[in-house]
Amino acid sequence: MSQASEPKKKKMSLSKRQNLTGWAFLTPATLMIAVMSFWPMIQAFILSFQKGKGNNLRFAGIDNYVRMFGDKVFMTSLWNTFFYLIIQVPIMLILALILAQMLNNKSLRCKGLFRTAIFLPCATSLVSYAIIFRSLFGVDGFINSILIKFGILNTGYNFLGNAGSAKAVIIIALIWRWTGYNMVFYLSGLQNIEYSVYEAAKIDGANPLQTFFKITVPLLKPTILLTAIMSTNGTLQLFDESLNLTKGGPSNATITMSHYIYNVSFKYVPNFGYAAAMSFLIFILVAILAFIQMKVGDKRD
Amino acid sequence: MYVVLIIVSLISVFPLYWMLIAATNKSVDVTRGKLLPGTAFMDNWKALFANSPVQEAMINSFKYAILLTICALVICSLAGYGFEIYYDKGKDAVFSILLMAMMVPFVATMIPLFRMFSDAKLLDTTLGFILPTISTPMIIMMFRQSARSFPHDIIEAARIDGLNEFQIFFRMFIPTMRSTYAAAMTITFMNAWNNYLWPKVIMLQDTSITMPMLVANLTEGYVTDYGVLMLAVLLCSLPTIIVFFVLQKSFAEGITGAVK
Amino acid sequence: MKKKLLGVLLCVAMSASMLAGCGGGNNKADNKQEAGDDANAGDDANAGDDANAGDDANAGDDANAGDDANAGGDENTLNVWCWDPKFNIYAMEEAGKMYQKDHPDFNLNVVETPWDDIQKKLTTAATGGALDTLPDIMLVQDNAFQKNVISFPEAFTDLTSSGVDFSQFGEAKTAYSVVDGKNYGVPFDNGAVVACYRTDFLEEAGFKVEDFTDITWDDYLEKGKVVLEKTGKPLLSCQSTESDVIMMMLQSCGASLFDEEGKPNMVGNESLKKVMETYQQLVETGVCKLVNSWDEYVQTLTTETVAGTVNGCWIMASIQSADDQSGKWALTNMPKLVGVEGATNYSNNGGSSWAVTSNCKNTELAFDFLKTTFAGSIELYENILPSSGALATYLPAGDSDVYGEPSEFYGGDAVFKKITEYAGQIPSNNTGVYYYEARDAIATAIQNVVGGSDIDTELEIAQSTVEGLMEQ
Repeated sequence: MSQASEPKKKKMSLSKRQNLTGWAFLTPATLMIAVMSFWPMIQAFILSFQKGKGNNLRFAGIDNYVRMFGDKVFMTSLWNTFFYLIIQVPIMLILALILAQMLNNKSLRCKGLFRTAIFLPCATSLVSYAIIFRSLFGVDGFINSILIKFGILNTGYNFLGNAGSAKAVIIIALIWRWTGYNMVFYLSGLQNIEYSVYEAAKIDGANPLQTFFKITVPLLKPTILLTAIMSTNGTLQLFDESLNLTKGGPSNATITMSHYIYNVSFKYVPNFGYAAAMSFLIFILVAILAFIQMKVGDKRD
Repeated sequence: MYVVLIIVSLISVFPLYWMLIAATNKSVDVTRGKLLPGTAFMDNWKALFANSPVQEAMINSFKYAILLTICALVICSLAGYGFEIYYDKGKDAVFSILLMAMMVPFVATMIPLFRMFSDAKLLDTTLGFILPTISTPMIIMMFRQSARSFPHDIIEAARIDGLNEFQIFFRMFIPTMRSTYAAAMTITFMNAWNNYLWPKVIMLQDTSITMPMLVANLTEGYVTDYGVLMLAVLLCSLPTIIVFFVLQKSFAEGITGAVK
Repeated sequence: MKKKLLGVLLCVAMSASMLAGCGGGNNKADNKQEAGDDANAGDDANAGDDANAGDDANAGDDANAGDDANAGGDENTLNVWCWDPKFNIYAMEEAGKMYQKDHPDFNLNVVETPWDDIQKKLTTAATGGALDTLPDIMLVQDNAFQKNVISFPEAFTDLTSSGVDFSQFGEAKTAYSVVDGKNYGVPFDNGAVVACYRTDFLEEAGFKVEDFTDITWDDYLEKGKVVLEKTGKPLLSCQSTESDVIMMMLQSCGASLFDEEGKPNMVGNESLKKVMETYQQLVETGVCKLVNSWDEYVQTLTTETVAGTVNGCWIMASIQSADDQSGKWALTNMPKLVGVEGATNYSNNGGSSWAVTSNCKNTELAFDFLKTTFAGSIELYENILPSSGALATYLPAGDSDVYGEPSEFYGGDAVFKKITEYAGQIPSNNTGVYYYEARDAIATAIQNVVGGSDIDTELEIAQSTVEGLMEQ
């Protein structure tokens, strides 16, 4: 650093220029998010302090936020959503990682077919998948007839009609649908790890399990972080499965927060102030969880 | 390993098989849980094309999805690159704020957004469809994470060679990160194709219908013809599957190593 | 460099146009030219952003769309939203053709929009202050009519003095779209409840369909047990997460979940309690089979899992989809409750009515159109019945010959005439504004009751849930 002053000055201005170029790179995206997301968010935030039927709104302070905690259905939905989050996200991400690792194997045959097959569920339209899952788990459905055949059950069990099993079906459906989606991120992330690292590990006599935990997981950390945040966010905003598979039943045992917000906005007499307040609770929850995940997973060296 | 993969694949493929079968059967056979191919495929096909604007919906869906994917890839990869390569505290803070954008349920922002688009006369337009989802924190983050593995010495070398920052991005980064682009393209295309709630709100004319909307229309009514419905669902799912199949090689067998 | 610049330009242009748009929110431009320009401007910006492919075509498209959105401005065109191509869309189009004969300039533009979407668009438009995005006429579910008129009065047009003779429709039916004594809807499709039975299964158990006509739920239960024992088939199936059956039973005795002032009336509502007890017995004895979704419900009918069903008459179309069962079905009225005041064998489930929105510029045309078609033409109803099965609530249509034709599927019975007669005898029901809230709360309650919980406790919980939601 003991160089002449002239090149130093030049370097300063260069890094300054680079810094500015950096801002130029991210301006379009940032501006668009500001207009398309933050502006409506601010309006929704203002709305969350108002109440009234349909269009006749008046300012009501934090009433909507207080009301949430006395709303039994909302509290049930909050608990349900967290239940899904805790069980489903880890299982799904681990499964996706294992599958990605398997499919990244250079000597595997028919890779393309396997990959496409595993990706298929998330490309399948919700309409058909909801019908299929309902009929699979119906009282006279496929799963029941297999269980009866093997003597595990005597009569068909109403999977979607009982609180515990209905939750389980939703979790299975979610894992089935989104594992392939997350696998895409991992597969693409794995390309940034040089294959020679794996070969070296093999020569050193590492078993697949060791390779997985010592090489794949640490090197994929940024991608795992990305998918973890995405899945957390997706689960907390979970809506389709609750609405289409179980309609939130039996007795609200599977209803999610977003499903309830949707009901309050469009099915019931619209109460957007309250809906906005509940949405902001989800926002705060996701933000906290994402923050924790970032702190745990995104340590810069 | 093959056994595991085959089992997982079979479980995953089952619904597609079911859809295919259902599309060849009469509605009543579908509800009866028939799992063998039927003979009603042509009838279903005719009924679907006679009653629903399938071609229009397909063209619209492709138009929206392709435009959105192109715009999203350019804008988001620029940003992801910018955030990572020119990392500093200020940009990091901006990034954290941007991340928050994906955390509010869409139901909450939909109405203000609708009002904005209605005032700007963007209802029923392509621009109206694509604008809200061009720039998404998720894709930006994806590019940012992958830019982390983009070697800095390449950039330095390029700068010494006299390339400017944008030339470095377009000539060095894009080709190197082909696997990330392919993955992002798959994800964006799929999200755009399946986008549902938003077009349902802003599309007011029959002529702006999309495939998922067409499928939803078929499930309304007092009677659902499941054979026709499943044929429509099949047609609606195919493009994403094909896009995936074509791109999977690019993102799963990337060429990063070759550049290094 | 170029791309970046254009990208920035795009954003600036966009934000500017947004802001301009927001600022002039009250200045709804009816001017087509302006709409077209805006769309074009947006598109040009887009063109800059490397989306060159197909852009020309696009610009044209968007400009057109801008025009279309304002097509309501055309004096002789009515824009209509409804949702079923084989049913109400077909009926609307037929009505349009009919009206066109006398009014050659008349144009009808029907946009297929599922009910969920109509509800969403109505809500967003009314809340977002963009009522000009609504069509002239839209079809509204009867159950949601009061809720929408009361929440968004500014979106509807009063039809009381439109010249439509509302006395020509079933009283119960018209009541759905009356708010504060004013008519807001022209009744359309019929939701009169019918009970359909498989005569072959009944016979196997030693019954005829006459044994199920004008009966009570107690009879139904006893006979249902016999049918179940002899044939192994439940008489009824229903969705466990919905309260359709409860609501039908409740309306059949003229009762409601709300009192006249619109307050929830569940705790201490004897009719409701009796209904829930009856339902509970049906499920416990296995006479009613519970399923989890609509498609499973239809499945129980087409797969011969059950020997009958009770539902709105529109269910007939689903039953008839199994054409190999033709001649095996018979139709009659539903059972009535025992020991409840005002109990009848008639009720209603579902149905919809046409509403004229406040965005309708040429209300005279809309009124005249509805008056001469849906509220004045037996011919129209005769015309649409055979291919759509769209049963009128327009009472004079019931006397027509077409309605009197025997139906082979139902053993040669003149079912349409029968249903129109039922429709005239349905007790009217006060859906109230908070219908869906109450309906969901009752669905939750009944699921718990079936699961072994006490009726009174569950009703109390349901009532407090609804009261909680009503607190705005």
